[in-house]
Amino acid sequence: MKVFQLAVLLLFAASVVSAQAPRNTATPAQQKISWAEAAIKAHPDKSQPYNDLALAYVQRVRETADPSYYLQAEATLQKSFQITPDNLEGQKARLMISLGRREFAQALSLAKTLNKKAPDDVLLYGFIADAAIGLGDYREAEEAAQWMLDMRPGNVPGLLRGAALRRLYGDAHGAKDFFSQAYQQMAPTQTEELAWTLTQMADLQLSTGDVDGAEQLLRSALQHFPSYYASLEELAKVQTARQHYSEAVELLRQRNQNFPTIASRFALAQALDRSGQTPEADGGYRDFVTNARPLIDASDNANEHLIFYYLGRGQNPTEALRIARLEIARRHDVNTLDAYAWALCSNAQYELAQKQIAAALAVGVREAQVFYHAGVITAKLHDAASAALYLGQSVELNPSSDSAAAAREALQQLVPASATLRGEK
Amino acid sequence: MNRKILFLLLLVGCVAGPVHLLAQQNATDDLIKNLQARVKGYPEDHAGYAALGAAYLQKGRETADAADYELAKGALEKSLDLLSNDPSAAFASTQMAVLCMVEHRFEDALTWAQKALALGSGDPSPWAIAGDALADMGDYKGASEAYGHLTSTYGSEDEKLAYSYQRDSRMSFLRFVAGDTSGAIQFMRSAVRTAVETHMPAENIAWSQYQLGEELFLAGETSVAENAYLAALDNCPGYYRALASLAKVRASQGRYLDAIKLYNQAIAKVPYPEYAAALGDIYRQLGQPNDAKKQYDLVEFIAYLSQVNRQIHNRDLALFYADHDLKLPEALALAQNELEVRRDIYTWDVLAWCLFKNDKLHEASEAISHALEQGTKDPQLFFHAGMIYEKLGDFLKAQELLQRALATNPNFHLAYAETATQTLDRINQCRSQIRAQEVANAD
Repeated sequence: MKVFQLAVLLLFAASVVSAQAPRNTATPAQQKISWAEAAIKAHPDKSQPYNDLALAYVQRVRETADPSYYLQAEATLQKSFQITPDNLEGQKARLMISLGRREFAQALSLAKTLNKKAPDDVLLYGFIADAAIGLGDYREAEEAAQWMLDMRPGNVPGLLRGAALRRLYGDAHGAKDFFSQAYQQMAPTQTEELAWTLTQMADLQLSTGDVDGAEQLLRSALQHFPSYYASLEELAKVQTARQHYSEAVELLRQRNQNFPTIASRFALAQALDRSGQTPEADGGYRDFVTNARPLIDASDNANEHLIFYYLGRGQNPTEALRIARLEIARRHDVNTLDAYAWALCSNAQYELAQKQIAAALAVGVREAQVFYHAGVITAKLHDAASAALYLGQSVELNPSSDSAAAAREALQQLVPASATLRGEK
Repeated sequence: MNRKILFLLLLVGCVAGPVHLLAQQNATDDLIKNLQARVKGYPEDHAGYAALGAAYLQKGRETADAADYELAKGALEKSLDLLSNDPSAAFASTQMAVLCMVEHRFEDALTWAQKALALGSGDPSPWAIAGDALADMGDYKGASEAYGHLTSTYGSEDEKLAYSYQRDSRMSFLRFVAGDTSGAIQFMRSAVRTAVETHMPAENIAWSQYQLGEELFLAGETSVAENAYLAALDNCPGYYRALASLAKVRASQGRYLDAIKLYNQAIAKVPYPEYAAALGDIYRQLGQPNDAKKQYDLVEFIAYLSQVNRQIHNRDLALFYADHDLKLPEALALAQNELEVRRDIYTWDVLAWCLFKNDKLHEASEAISHALEQGTKDPQLFFHAGMIYEKLGDFLKAQELLQRALATNPNFHLAYAETATQTLDRINQCRSQIRAQEVANAD
């Protein structure tokens, strides 16, 4: 499922200030770093240039996936606060770092405090929405995003958050519309932001089975921002949907050349597995587990992937459920609910699993994987009709999803059972 | 086309909304006072500082006083210190872009406009300034693309019309540059209509009418242009741009005393060097060299009055020197410096003219080809090109260009229209002599 990733990436959408001249080859964040450094030189007694530098570092994280820029951002903010303690722009930058590290509860609290002090600040509502999406409090997120759009109709950060929420609510068409509106407003020099938005649109297209449409968007994204890791990851998903597993492997190898994340290592291991490169896949999984396990208790963890790893290749449903319980104690977003439900199901706790998947579906989300899980869980509870409905929805929504083959198989197994049931009636 | 045109465009157009509200000259001082009181009472009010910056900019537009631009800069910087990473900061960033345009810092203007756009406020106004900066840097295609974004699905009908006004008034200029003068006039007429229908402040309506007049004048439709200037003065009595342009019309009609009076009125409002130069030219035409010299001295005085003026009037001063055969090496240096930051057709034209006056004919011919490459139907461009080719001995080309200058507008310039006619006569004589010589040789 891609919703969670979407929410995380959204965190930075509003912060991008890319204004390089068209001829400049530096990325928007690099350009902004240069400007801020020059401004610091010219005005070392002002806090704002330090804030600008911190924001540029945060932006650089999204450009590169290199989290070490957060450390630089934090160091820079210290200087800003030395000059003007607790200045608003500095605190907003601090908030963005916190969101980037997925410290959602802490971020939500700070965002609300700042929002009370500066209720006319549009982005603070955006940060509330980001944190609330991360925690699964979609009502609060929606309220905040609506404030953004009411305060400044058509503002890009508001549209992007609105798009994320619309997708979570199952309104793919509405989400696409918001993404398009946001995209139209971006300047050609906002190369990374353009690429990021196109990548999100591609992910949305892919979730509805439009593989060609997704690829087209991603090719365009890579033209805006060549070798963009987010687009390469998404393109690998496109190739996986086409069952072109070797191509997916190559794309993920390319993506992982610089600053691989735990998630991208997992994706590569899965791609290697699918392409039949078992020994290398084994190594990839080991690598993934080695990197992911130490972070189980951290906020910026890879627990969702670990859960699915242990439910699949790792063959340890008990451990999957343990991790899922840790995660659900932290947040109740759709992805966590889905992973928890699947872990419960794999541990034969079907009633509880159904409760969790029902909570996920109650949001309105329409993702093939969630429907597949709902179908299997419902089938385990002998509700063949509902199971058939969910499994059918999964296949219909996205015939080329990761779950599509399994959903079809489950559906086929259900048909005789349903027929028997009907015959009995 | 009047070389000021783009400068004026950016000044008027700045942004829809708040700037238009500030446009009433009499109200600007009151507005500044109110905003000063507001930020004094609420020193953390970023929006107050941004509005104050915009008000100072408006004041600068009304007075052409560089001090107002400095005050604008201070207020806008303060606003951005308080809030820079938020869609709400887009207005202050856009005003910074406007300020840079006023000071002819085009790269900086583009950067600020792009910063404003990156904040994603939902307001497309920064595209206008981005387009203006690109046009001044000679990237007309980029400017056209930028202006194409001046639409919005958000806001009231009036706001949407305000964007269409911004777009049409700017597209008009691009059409003119592209050689489609009638298309340019159509766009400007549409902008005037929108300005009137949306009850824009009188000064904005007057600017639109004046701008329409400029295009009509260049197209040789002097009497229709005159009506446009008079309409501008009806809407906004004492509007200096319309006064100066009407003076230009009067001079072309031989009504020199009326022209002098009008130029003096315009200069009393806003002392632009080009007005003083034109007034000096009239005195010279009337055989009053002392009065002419006073005005020519005033040109230099204004141009060097402040750092900002030196930036703004580089090109005007270069043209003034070249036109009057004064300080020709300095004129060339000024034009060359201007080309470093401004690569639009009019900078190429001034450079070509300065090179011509400095007897660097081949370089002049190269520069003028850049000025003509967009196909602009501006009689002054044709005239400069014709004179350069005449001196290079390419009589055929010179003849064609000088004829085009006069055909476009027989009264395009107080002195140069006559020069063009005389040069054409000279060319004809030369060509006749050559032909006669050829016939004689053949016999």
